[in-house]
Amino acid sequence: MGSFLHYLSMPYLLQGIMVTLQASALGFFGGFLAGTLLAGMALSRNRMIAGAARTYSVIFRGTPLVLQLVFVFTALPHAGIVLSPILAAGVALAANEATFFAEILRSSVRGVDRGQTDAARALGLRPRRVLAHIVGPQAGRAAIPAIGGEAVSTLKNSALASIIAVPELTLRSNQLASATFDYFSIFFASGVMYLLLTGAIAGVQLMVERAVDLDRLKHGGAAGPVDAGPDPSEVPGVPPPPAPIRPTRVALTVTGACKAFGEQQVLRGVDLELHEGEVVALLGPSGSGKSTLLRLINHLETLDAGTVSFDGLRVGYSDSGGPLAERVTAQQRVDAGVGMVFQHFNLFAHLTARENVAASPRWVQGVPKEQALREADRLLGRVGLAARAHALPRHLSGGQRQRVGIARALAGRPRVLLLDEPTSALDPELVQEVLEVIRSLAVDEGLTMLIATHQLRFAREVADRVVFMADGVILEHGPAAQVLDNPQNPVAARFLRAVHTMEV
Amino acid sequence: MRIRQLRPVFATLASTVAAAVLLTACGSSDSTAPADSAAPAGAAQYASLAASPACAQLRGQHPELAGKKMTNAINPHTPGYESISVSDPNRYEGFDIDLGEAIGACLGFTVSYLPVSFETLLPTLRSGQANFIISDIYATRERAASADFITYSKVFDGVLVAKGNPKKLTGIDDSLCGTTTALNKGFVEVPLVAAQSAKCTAEGKPAAQASLFDNNADCVQAILAGRADSYINDVNTVTRFVKDQPDQLDRATAVTLPYSIGIAVPKGDTAIRAAFTGALTEVQRSGLQATLSKKWQLDESAIESPSLVTAS
Repeated sequence: MGSFLHYLSMPYLLQGIMVTLQASALGFFGGFLAGTLLAGMALSRNRMIAGAARTYSVIFRGTPLVLQLVFVFTALPHAGIVLSPILAAGVALAANEATFFAEILRSSVRGVDRGQTDAARALGLRPRRVLAHIVGPQAGRAAIPAIGGEAVSTLKNSALASIIAVPELTLRSNQLASATFDYFSIFFASGVMYLLLTGAIAGVQLMVERAVDLDRLKHGGAAGPVDAGPDPSEVPGVPPPPAPIRPTRVALTVTGACKAFGEQQVLRGVDLELHEGEVVALLGPSGSGKSTLLRLINHLETLDAGTVSFDGLRVGYSDSGGPLAERVTAQQRVDAGVGMVFQHFNLFAHLTARENVAASPRWVQGVPKEQALREADRLLGRVGLAARAHALPRHLSGGQRQRVGIARALAGRPRVLLLDEPTSALDPELVQEVLEVIRSLAVDEGLTMLIATHQLRFAREVADRVVFMADGVILEHGPAAQVLDNPQNPVAARFLRAVHTMEV
Repeated sequence: MRIRQLRPVFATLASTVAAAVLLTACGSSDSTAPADSAAPAGAAQYASLAASPACAQLRGQHPELAGKKMTNAINPHTPGYESISVSDPNRYEGFDIDLGEAIGACLGFTVSYLPVSFETLLPTLRSGQANFIISDIYATRERAASADFITYSKVFDGVLVAKGNPKKLTGIDDSLCGTTTALNKGFVEVPLVAAQSAKCTAEGKPAAQASLFDNNADCVQAILAGRADSYINDVNTVTRFVKDQPDQLDRATAVTLPYSIGIAVPKGDTAIRAAFTGALTEVQRSGLQATLSKKWQLDESAIESPSLVTAS
């Protein structure tokens, strides 16, 4: 016991801890940087770049770290690259760790729900902003535990650097054991030292996790007064669109839209026209292509054939019809003034209600943060959620989430709003509060809207026209009352009867 | 993510990185620190050697070495030959360390040390990370493919066994059949035990197993833990282990191997080879090698006048 304590406080071994920390830090931070680059390469659409990343991973994940250490230390000098032992260890550790960091980061990025990026793209955020504000923060949070694990394993792996003359803790322990024969006391002491170091890393990891914990950061979220529902009368309206409106102008034209997913033909030539201020309800059974049509319109999906045009502007395509980069497409969505409300809300999970609503002003229009948040509060008031402005999406009811989703879309000052079954994911008692908000947008604001819905009564009250789709084609369209009350197409008639029975 | 709340975390991380980088900046010289602090002993201790006409002449012939810092690659796990000093772990000590310092004093260079695993000694020399090796390494023809050797002592091996020699071992012979020998990775005894094992099986006896370890201390632990029956290495090393733990260990026998211990220098570097040979000759002529052998209790060493072992 006495000799154990002697070794535990021996300056020679304590200095070894410092060297261990240096080598580990080089390996960890170097590996993180290289791994970030590698993850970016692996996620690249360029096959050469992705292939290079894969090849690197195969080599450095597939060979023992011991070989890599010896290689960097004794082989690289033959190529004229002479690194000091500790740098050689840092380089080898970093090269090895990079592959693991790349996997962690890649899977964290892929683990972010697709709906999050859809929503960000629909708002017109450029790819870099989507990464910085939406995907990055969420993936980063998810990756923290695994990154902490890598820090621990880097530290433990640094012990292997003892074979290439890095005077770290294990090398010193070995040398001391050889010189003194006090084998067990020495290795017990160095084991305790490693435990203290890895324990400290675990502590740092917990600190970081706590620091980025959403429930801690976004206080006021967990509890809050239950709102009374939307009260459109007392709140200011949607900011007016920048361009003057001519009443009968065509806002959106879809011609011959076709889309297939693999073998499945989802849309088979859809033609549609929306006039400014018009509300069109898109009806049809599940799988009829309603959602796909909406996603084609703002280019969340690419067209196989046909065109979509907002008063001459074709989102996602150049004048000559060629595909455009996502960066350019993002700006086109803004120019076209197209907003979207999603069936599953797709609220940014790491942002509060007001931050969600402020996303487009801040990250698309470049409005200063405070001003954007003030505007967000006003819009939340408009959908009756002023009291829940600081709540995280996961602390809101479905109806509240969808109202935030609508406010978020409105903050982008859309001229055309696409609503993809906005009430389908809601419990029946929550449907009305959302429909109320949409109704007020149509009636009070005269916003141009294309709404995929199953709510016949709502369609009758709010929609100017109804379009009935089935199996990727439009079977019937016309004034709401005409299509709903007197459908000519037998498929439409049968579907409407069935839905109507359920509603009554 | 709000940057403000993360500030303390970033500050912690940033200071860690900064510390690591700073330490690394000093680290390159730090990493060889054990070496440097060992050096000063040399100059004063070997002043009379350095003052000899032979050394003065060598320094004249090899001005390229004067004032230089030369790196000695060592595997410091053999007390008596090379290990860290227990009283000052930042220093290396032992016969080989003194011999290198003496040669340095004679030729006018100072010595720094690079402690690597035994099997990494020759790759380290070949890569240029070290200038020479004095680490109780046997000069075999196979190793001469990687470096040139200047021999300085004959090899006698001892067989270390548990107290009382329970397996009645008598050397690298049929007594090894059916036993396990702990050996250092890359040591010359490995192929000798393998050859004996083949003999054992040819005679219908159980094989002679070898367990390979990273250093002497691990080999000795294998005997103490009952995982191995014997350990074969330089006889002085074996004797020292017995002296340290006389209640648990014994020396079974001595084995004469047809090898010499040598200083390894870069292959084909005739200038350094000549300089080291000259200095070693003077160390032996002056009686210093015998003095050092005595100092480090290498009682059964047989000084051998320098000869070259090269591949050709």
